[in-house]
Amino acid sequence: MSIFEICQWIQESSIGTGIRESTYVFPLIEATHVIGLAMSVGTIAIVDLRLIGATLTKEPVTDVIEQLQPWTLWGFVVQFISGGFLFWSEAARLYPSYSYRAKFVFMFFLGINALLFHTTIYKSVDKWNGDVVTPFRARMAGWIGITFWAAVIFFGRWTAYNLK
Amino acid sequence: MSLLELFKWFDATPISQIIRNSTYIFPVVEVLHLFGLTLLLGTVTVVDLRILGVGMRRQSVSDLAGQLAPWSVGAAILAIVTGILLFLSEAMKCYGNAAFPYKMWFLLGGIILYFATQRKITSPTSRMGSGTLKAIAVLSLILWYGVAIAGRAIAFV
Repeated sequence: MSIFEICQWIQESSIGTGIRESTYVFPLIEATHVIGLAMSVGTIAIVDLRLIGATLTKEPVTDVIEQLQPWTLWGFVVQFISGGFLFWSEAARLYPSYSYRAKFVFMFFLGINALLFHTTIYKSVDKWNGDVVTPFRARMAGWIGITFWAAVIFFGRWTAYNLK
Repeated sequence: MSLLELFKWFDATPISQIIRNSTYIFPVVEVLHLFGLTLLLGTVTVVDLRILGVGMRRQSVSDLAGQLAPWSVGAAILAIVTGILLFLSEAMKCYGNAAFPYKMWFLLGGIILYFATQRKITSPTSRMGSGTLKAIAVLSLILWYGVAIAGRAIAFV
């Protein structure tokens, strides 16, 4: 059984078909997925903007990161669940889509970016916590975060248009 | 001029036709509209939830609101400019769309509330009662999320 056939099977399951053909469920899930952007990417963007010195520069970096992290994580929970249901209903259309694949490639690199940030430069945050201009590696992590999340939104929306 | 004639005029502008005749302009403008939504709703949510005492409590409301305001306003401008372009390209679809007027009323309400209350919220010496402030935060969340939900509904109703 190929991956594409598995996706067809997922899409044709009773839940997949039910979501796809429902008048209200599909739009509601999609609305949730769009609005969840505020909580997930919106709060991450504020952290990244702090790292590049573009907002909340009067506040310590740790205050911004520690206090927004739970919101970001809950935002991700909303996005993964709503996104999971959307995938369930359209798996065979999404799996071959280059935009959809690109979205996940960018999210993979965003994961690496966050991991590297937290395991390296963030360890020494006490030395630069109040700085408007944070160390180069922290600024890099912020810029990569902003541009790659923008790419995730771009490819996510692009997926719906079925363009190459 | 009736509303219908006005919408027909919007629908027929050169910009409307350029966007409609292109495969890529509409999706690109819509992506930019989503960037605006993400940043606007993100910053507004953080400030309003701070007022409600849910998070970011190490920072004062006025500090948070004051520093995030340029990003809220910038994001709103991006969303409105791109929104106008999207509207022009499908004005006749918006005319008669059940969700579109709701989105516009929520938007108008959100903008009025923002500019009517922003100075007091960002002023460290504001003596606005916390009950009033919390009511404003709840109303702000309802209005801005109303804009987003009604906006998404345009595609489905």
